[in-house]
Amino acid sequence: MGFLARHTGLAPVVPTPPAVAESVRPTEEAALTPPGRADLRVEMLVEEGAPVAEGAPVARLREAPEVVLVAPMPARVGRITLRPGRKLTEIVLFREAGGDSVTHALPQTGEPGALRALMQVSGFWTRLRQRPFGVWPGPEDRPAAIAVMAADTRPHAPDPAAALAGAEEDFARGCHALAGLTEGPLLVCAPAPLPGLTGVRHVPVGPRHPQGLAGICLHRSFPARPEHPVWDIAAEDVVHLGRLLATGSLPQTRRVTVSGAALTETRTVICQIGADLRGLTYGATRPGPHRLISGSALDGHPARWLAPWHRQVTVLPEAAPVKARHWFLSALTSSARPRPVIPTAALDQSGGSALPVMALLRALSVGDDETAVALGALSLVEEDLALLDYVVGGAPAPGALLRACLDRVAAEAGA
Amino acid sequence: MIRGLWDRETVALLLLAALLPMALTWLWFGGVAALGRLALALVISGGWHLVFMLARAQPPSLSGALAALAVAMLAPEDLGLVRLVLGISFGAVFGELVFGGWGRNVVHPATVMLAFLGFGFPAFPWPDLDLPVVWAALPAALIGIAAGVMPLGVIGGAVLAGGLALALGVPGAALWPAAAVVLVLLVADPVTSAHTPLGRWLNGALYAGLLALFALHWADAAPVQMAVAAALLAALAAPALDEAALALWSARRRRRHGF
Repeated sequence: MGFLARHTGLAPVVPTPPAVAESVRPTEEAALTPPGRADLRVEMLVEEGAPVAEGAPVARLREAPEVVLVAPMPARVGRITLRPGRKLTEIVLFREAGGDSVTHALPQTGEPGALRALMQVSGFWTRLRQRPFGVWPGPEDRPAAIAVMAADTRPHAPDPAAALAGAEEDFARGCHALAGLTEGPLLVCAPAPLPGLTGVRHVPVGPRHPQGLAGICLHRSFPARPEHPVWDIAAEDVVHLGRLLATGSLPQTRRVTVSGAALTETRTVICQIGADLRGLTYGATRPGPHRLISGSALDGHPARWLAPWHRQVTVLPEAAPVKARHWFLSALTSSARPRPVIPTAALDQSGGSALPVMALLRALSVGDDETAVALGALSLVEEDLALLDYVVGGAPAPGALLRACLDRVAAEAGA
Repeated sequence: MIRGLWDRETVALLLLAALLPMALTWLWFGGVAALGRLALALVISGGWHLVFMLARAQPPSLSGALAALAVAMLAPEDLGLVRLVLGISFGAVFGELVFGGWGRNVVHPATVMLAFLGFGFPAFPWPDLDLPVVWAALPAALIGIAAGVMPLGVIGGAVLAGGLALALGVPGAALWPAAAVVLVLLVADPVTSAHTPLGRWLNGALYAGLLALFALHWADAAPVQMAVAAALLAALAAPALDEAALALWSARRRRRHGF
């Protein structure tokens, strides 16, 4: 990676108050939610009001019964909300102090099948993400490569190096286990090669956004295709996998930063997966209306619970209501949507030098899926185009266009 | 969740700001006549934007002012009101507005206006640009590049290829002032120039190469006329250059990743 490529990208300024020391802050409630807008058909394994131990299975996927959703803390099942067709909306859990934690029997042989089964039954499987399409991998899928993200360049993202500090052994064990799942390379995306790792391929990551996103790294170093899927996972989860393989118990915590202009302090907290955002921001919000966002200010969405794969919470002041324009002016100027995008240096930088941004944007906005796929759209998910979305001011919403394109390609590939 | 500011009108405003040093210098030397031409171009261009807003619900854009400035600076002299109105109307409508407004056009509307006036009324003399106006193109280009609204590759490619042509002995002493102004006003337009990194350098180099060709083989043409013709051809070739650059990118990727 040359000097110029290494320093491409942007550093969007997202105001946030001064940071305070890291703290352990489990919330009283947590919820299991589906990733993104996916229709997740589940089969419940517990009923409302039942007590569950930390790491105990709560539901399993209907299409893949091997993959289970586990309780992120010792808790009582509070509310199960399913849409018609047993599609998961949320499973709310109330924390119960002093509960048990599930310990799994470790596979005695180094057989990949046993390891895979352990990952699925312990709830680790849902921390993986498969590209193309940005979904949980199927129980029998074999990736062409796995990318471990030891870098994150989103504004105010938690530093993965902090999760790795002191856990190098667990990380190496986790990497070794992941390498057994694929016949291809294990890519470790980090600013500098990590010591003590053997048999992995280091992918250098520059300091600016969006270089620390898995999609951009993969687009550059190992593009995904339907017949060659690539998985990505955060370094912290790999450490947890290493710990699972050492102790038989999968840690259900996550290092999360809580930032944003509507706060009085920026927090780094260790909380459970699916934590309650209100609990995480309790005592730190400024007076007045605000929006709780799961994810960064660029790629997040308003939510009550920390979404799967997210490691950031952003609290923004509620924007003043937009005054409605006169109907006549609105009628005169609103038909030319989506608005055209003008190629600027900011637009070029928002692809992190890996993407031909303007060509991809044009292909996406006219619905030319073939060209978009040729330009590498299958390696990407919405969060990889969030910076582009920010730069062009949300019109014509590249993230939504990409999702529509991926949905069409997925439907075609599945047909 | 948060939104940036780089929408179409921000870019148009920054382009206007970048061109301001050149526009003010030109107005200073051109006096009332220049001001009158600019006002006329602004009124006609704005009028057509208004017509398209009312008839086609296309939001008007400040890009109309960019085209008006370019045509006021570069249009042949002594055309008279009717011809000027005709040329500006033709360029604004067929160069930009029928495509759906700025951002969707293929050629800079001012290039279309100037080409129309040049081809339609060849008897009228093209303007001679004052040297201070030409030098003011330098800060304009620098501001445009620094603000990210003018493509560095296009200007860089043109300067490099132009320098090479001069070094090889192409007679360009009379041509370069017009070439520099047209480069900043028309060729370095972010919309109608190439949008891939390699395509931009090629686009700039093609503009300079065409100018060198005209300098060698087009007798009796005014410098501005040559520069406008080169700008028109370079803008028309930009999509092909982008296609070539993308094909090269895809081929390199295929070699590296196997598909």
